[in-house]
Amino acid sequence: MSTQTLHALGAQQQALLQALLARPGSALARSAAACLPDFLDTRHIQTTRGLAVYQANGHAMAERALFSAYPVVAALIGAANFALLARDLWHQHPPQRGDLAQWGDALPGFLQHNAQLADVPYLSDVAHTEWALHAATGAADIAPDPASFARLAHEAPEGLALTLAPGTTVVCSAYPVASLVGAHLHATPRLDEAAQRLRNGQGEHALVWRQGHRARLQGIQPNASALLQTLLAGADLPQALNAAFAVTDSASNFDFSAWLSAAVTDALVTGVHSLLPNAQPENPAHESHRPMN
Amino acid sequence: MTTPAHRTSAAAPSVGIGWRHPHYAALLEQQPALDFIEVHSENFFACGGAALAVLREGRGRYPVSLHGVGLSLGSVAGIDPWHLDQLARLAQAIDPVRVSDHASFARGPGLHAADLLPVPMNQAALGAMCANVNQVQDRLQRTIAVENLSVYVPWRDAEMSEPDFLNALAQRTGCQLLVDVNNIYVNALNAALRGEATDPLGVCMRWLDAVQPHHVAEMHLAGHLHCGDIVIDDHGSRVHESVWSLYRHAIGRWGAVPTLIEWDTDMPELQVLLDEAERARCTTQRCLDATALQAAAA
Repeated sequence: MSTQTLHALGAQQQALLQALLARPGSALARSAAACLPDFLDTRHIQTTRGLAVYQANGHAMAERALFSAYPVVAALIGAANFALLARDLWHQHPPQRGDLAQWGDALPGFLQHNAQLADVPYLSDVAHTEWALHAATGAADIAPDPASFARLAHEAPEGLALTLAPGTTVVCSAYPVASLVGAHLHATPRLDEAAQRLRNGQGEHALVWRQGHRARLQGIQPNASALLQTLLAGADLPQALNAAFAVTDSASNFDFSAWLSAAVTDALVTGVHSLLPNAQPENPAHESHRPMN
Repeated sequence: MTTPAHRTSAAAPSVGIGWRHPHYAALLEQQPALDFIEVHSENFFACGGAALAVLREGRGRYPVSLHGVGLSLGSVAGIDPWHLDQLARLAQAIDPVRVSDHASFARGPGLHAADLLPVPMNQAALGAMCANVNQVQDRLQRTIAVENLSVYVPWRDAEMSEPDFLNALAQRTGCQLLVDVNNIYVNALNAALRGEATDPLGVCMRWLDAVQPHHVAEMHLAGHLHCGDIVIDDHGSRVHESVWSLYRHAIGRWGAVPTLIEWDTDMPELQVLLDEAERARCTTQRCLDATALQAAAA
């Protein structure tokens, strides 16, 4: 088998992939389709039908995979629009991996730059929150380490950090994303309350984490958000507390002890670890992080 | 491992079902007598979480076959290292009875079609697939089984038949073959629709006869959808009677081969899959009994 033969086969495979995945009607799709008679048996009409079968299968997989990750976006724009959205994304940002659970992360950015959806500007942040939930669902398991909390009492806090649950992510939005997603997924708050918060122009910090096998979502205060984001960025507890108390509009309300107690109860914080070299492993929890808007 | 009813004799029928999400709870509750269950590897690539925990629970009750749909063994672009890493980690965690994927391609530079696209039956494609299968087997430190496809867009200028391609693949790499009987029949029906075959069953029997028996590690049985102008391997109905007759033909040639009932769309109650699996078990047993009788008479 010559390198030239293998190269030709690679080009043919890429042409078939482009014919199926490139945006229908685009120059790329047309040029790829024009190559197909060079290596596919296109004498029979059934080949055209067969290509349509692969395309339809791709679209069906796109809809299923995207709906699995973004049920709230689907509810907000309706099934028909969501199906079109899935197809658009399939062609604009086709999969790069053979695990479709990995596909769809481009949706928040895709929504943000979609002029047709300009009247629903919160959709991108809703999608971002849903992707965080999707990622948390499959994040690496982590064993709680309750004994490690004693380090907070017995060691200098510098270099210590809180170990966060699998998939911990904070999404900061100018829209009430935690309320919008929570209302659709868990009826908490009620949909009309979420809609009212949207009309009021209320922004929210949405916290996503996994408790046991259940991905959880909660709207949190800005100082708790700052604390968690700083921890997620790899800082130690004193730095995280400084960030939390630097949030001036609600600093006086922030009670770290009460927050920590609730966070441990909800399995958001699973232990304490050291960031210093030759100490304990770094916090492996977070899947993704988005800086404060 | 607690096992309800495993049949371990190589000469006895071995049947399983594809274990999909709608049947996760029902199977764990009922623990029906199956010899193995099969899952799509990619559905368990997550590092943790509920899906993996359910699979571990299933593995506690049954041998598990890991059946992939995304390795893209036929891609000239090669195997995605990330994909192979996930599969290796999953295989390490689950200790599967078999690992399999398809004689297809889906991957190119920066793209993955997430489908089972055909490769040409020529030396170039065979060489590329052999290299990829070797890479996977080296990494997993075990042989894998490679499955024949349903093909909707045939390539031109085949240099060899599909059984010859698969035999050569197994010979060169030491891999095993997973023979999907329904796929063979679907391809024959589509060839008939194209006017290239007049006797689909005969075409299929010759296909089965051409495969070297010692390469075959598993068979798949599934339903298909006849759309008039094309036949689609949709895994959405009971196994067609013609496919059962081909299955009997295969068992008559190969003896008992682990057999899976695949059902992926329009999922019925679990019992329907179990009924199909039981039919496969009885069919195999009858074929084995008939063979034994013939041997005794001779």
